[in-house]
Amino acid sequence: MLDDDEIERLIAATALDDRAAFNALYTATSAKLFGVVLRVLNNRNAAEETLQDVYIKIWHNAGRYQVNGLSPMTWLITIARNTAIDARRRKTREADGDLHEMLADSAPGPENRMSEGSGHARLSACFAELEPDRAGAVRRAYLDGKSYAELAAQYGVPLNTMRSWLRRSLLNLWECLGR
Amino acid sequence: MTNTPDKDEDRVLAGEYAIGLLTPDEAAAFAARLAVEPDLRRLVRQWTEDFACLAEDIEPETPPAWVQAGVDSRLFSGPARGPLGVFRRVVVPLMTAASLVVALFLVSDPGAPGVVSDPGAPGVQPPAPPVYQADLEAEDSSLVFSAGYDATTRQMYVERRQGTARPGRVLELWLIADDNPPVSLGVLPDNARVRLPVPEALRDRLEGGVLALSDEPPGGSPTGAPTGAVLAVGPLMDV
Repeated sequence: MLDDDEIERLIAATALDDRAAFNALYTATSAKLFGVVLRVLNNRNAAEETLQDVYIKIWHNAGRYQVNGLSPMTWLITIARNTAIDARRRKTREADGDLHEMLADSAPGPENRMSEGSGHARLSACFAELEPDRAGAVRRAYLDGKSYAELAAQYGVPLNTMRSWLRRSLLNLWECLGR
Repeated sequence: MTNTPDKDEDRVLAGEYAIGLLTPDEAAAFAARLAVEPDLRRLVRQWTEDFACLAEDIEPETPPAWVQAGVDSRLFSGPARGPLGVFRRVVVPLMTAASLVVALFLVSDPGAPGVVSDPGAPGVQPPAPPVYQADLEAEDSSLVFSAGYDATTRQMYVERRQGTARPGRVLELWLIADDNPPVSLGVLPDNARVRLPVPEALRDRLEGGVLALSDEPPGGSPTGAPTGAVLAVGPLMDV
């Protein structure tokens, strides 16, 4: 995996329609993004189709990367995850929950970036402070793209209970992350 | 940093939004606030960075080679320019985009002011790049507008798909760029399709900007800033 600066450079070149840079970006990141998409869709054929959509979005939206203020891997992972969840929900026609293009958030400035390693360690420590069930539900909500309704069914609790669990856990995480 | 209940509520909402747990209505309401509240955007960005760390636990897996070939063929085979090329650049990202915005396509004919037509219609010339496009929809879908910037005529086309201003009120269109205060692009007349000139100073700020519609008294906001409710918002997408 290339470092953040290199990936950022490839995204910037992709925004200028540089196909060689786009290919290099694909080579450097497709295995990670395929993993992310597979995790949500849990189906190889669907994941392969969706991964194409992901890179097509990346090509078209590379010029918007800077204005999002996200670190490059976060931006790519968010596109992959959201596209996969979109595909899954479109397929299951599930009404509950919605998903948003992070692309739509024209947030400025690259402040508050963290290096991947330290961010992960910090986050893991904070997840460890949550009750195991609740930590698991938050992880599933993010990694599997599960809705409140799906999580409630999975954990055998009413939807409102699941919602309070998650919301309380988010607040605990926020406090733990020291903000 | 204070820990008032309102602040906590916003932190939680931003987290739910970043994960995609809100209902469509809740998400639309939150998105409307995001357009005008930089602090909220910062919260969403922080959550997004945090959660992306979770993906480190996911094992990379090399996709089969045909996937990349498929991407290349979908992006680069066929005419690079012309209506089909533009059609792909606009419609493909919209079709796969999440559902806050209504996928809608707007092509203008620079030679015929006010003409708005479907993509692919014979004789329609796509606007010269760069062009930005936005869909604005109210939380309850009572207002649905679409906008597209034509760099050739330097005008913002606005098409009314649904809804009008309340009696005795008008709708005013705003551009919000980065953390800057909203700048008015003008009051929308009642026509279904209008063109608003985009002042030179604003043209460089369209990229990454957000369009918003607010409820204003006749003649538009008297203060130069939105005075009524922000009714609909939509990010300008790079076409």
